[in-house]
Amino acid sequence: MAFIPSRIKRHDTGEGEVKVMLTSMMDMFTIMLVFLLSSYSTEGQMIQPSNDLTLPKSSVEKMPEVALDLSISKEWVLLNGKPVVKVTNIANYNGMIIPQLQQELLRYSTEAEAMQVKYGKPFSGLVTIQGDYALAYKVLVKVMATCGKSKYPNMRLFVYQKA
Amino acid sequence: MAFKPSKRSRKPIESTELNLTPVMNLMVVLIPLLLVTAQFIKLGMIELNLPPAVGSGGVSQSEMPKEAGLKLNLTVTITDKGFYLASSAAVALGENGEGPTIPRLANGDYNYDELTKLLYEIKKKASGQFSDTEQIVILAEPEVTYQTVIFTMDASRSVKVNNEQQPLFPKVALSATVL
Repeated sequence: MAFIPSRIKRHDTGEGEVKVMLTSMMDMFTIMLVFLLSSYSTEGQMIQPSNDLTLPKSSVEKMPEVALDLSISKEWVLLNGKPVVKVTNIANYNGMIIPQLQQELLRYSTEAEAMQVKYGKPFSGLVTIQGDYALAYKVLVKVMATCGKSKYPNMRLFVYQKA
Repeated sequence: MAFKPSKRSRKPIESTELNLTPVMNLMVVLIPLLLVTAQFIKLGMIELNLPPAVGSGGVSQSEMPKEAGLKLNLTVTITDKGFYLASSAAVALGENGEGPTIPRLANGDYNYDELTKLLYEIKKKASGQFSDTEQIVILAEPEVTYQTVIFTMDASRSVKVNNEQQPLFPKVALSATVL
């Protein structure tokens, strides 16, 4: 049997002042704040993965570096965001070295070498490759062979880290 | 049956309420800021060594030091039937002496666990005898997907033995001689 409060007290709701209970909200915010602060990294995401491709997953734990950005999306091969050659053209191309890509890469390497002479910024021959996960091996190998023959022998493959 | 509340609680409580407004202001600013800067997907990077056959005309490749000693030349070939393993010491054969070394699973997936296991065996046997027990060459058929190649690299990079990560063949090179 529940306790029945007295009639007088049943209508006794204070002075009409409504108080919002902030304690539970504060609890929630504190937890969120701690979680976000702990997952916060000061290094920041310097590399933006391209939108029109899905990187493959990998168990590798190395942090990405910034270098010349070569993306192989579903349709185009992009060098620093500029479309260079179509993926279907590469797939059907018989040779290993893709002329359009080599031309662009050599242009970048000459620029970088000129920078090295002028400002002393060393040219590392580093290129980062972002490829779509469904990319055929023949395309990947041709692109990498072209990089190797165009003064960019140091290649890095970008992947999503598995959680 | 509920208890009748004690009469003691009816004493007027001194209202000493904290002024939470500044804290709330702080939270409202900090949480969206951190949410925006938070990265939920992490990027990684795989370092690659040039396939020696392809990049022989490259800049740094021509100056590669010649290593002394026996070479293992371990090669994994990814085909649509499964993995083929070969080295200068032996060619690992599949069941009945033919077919791929590690065939695909019944559901069509590649058997990465088995590959890691086999590579671990090879690593144990080869260490000390050969000079290149860090290197592996991965070959693939033209239509093999990028993700499969990456998973194969993962499988050949390291192995977990007794909850400890041990390196297998971290120096990966891709080759194109199948094309």
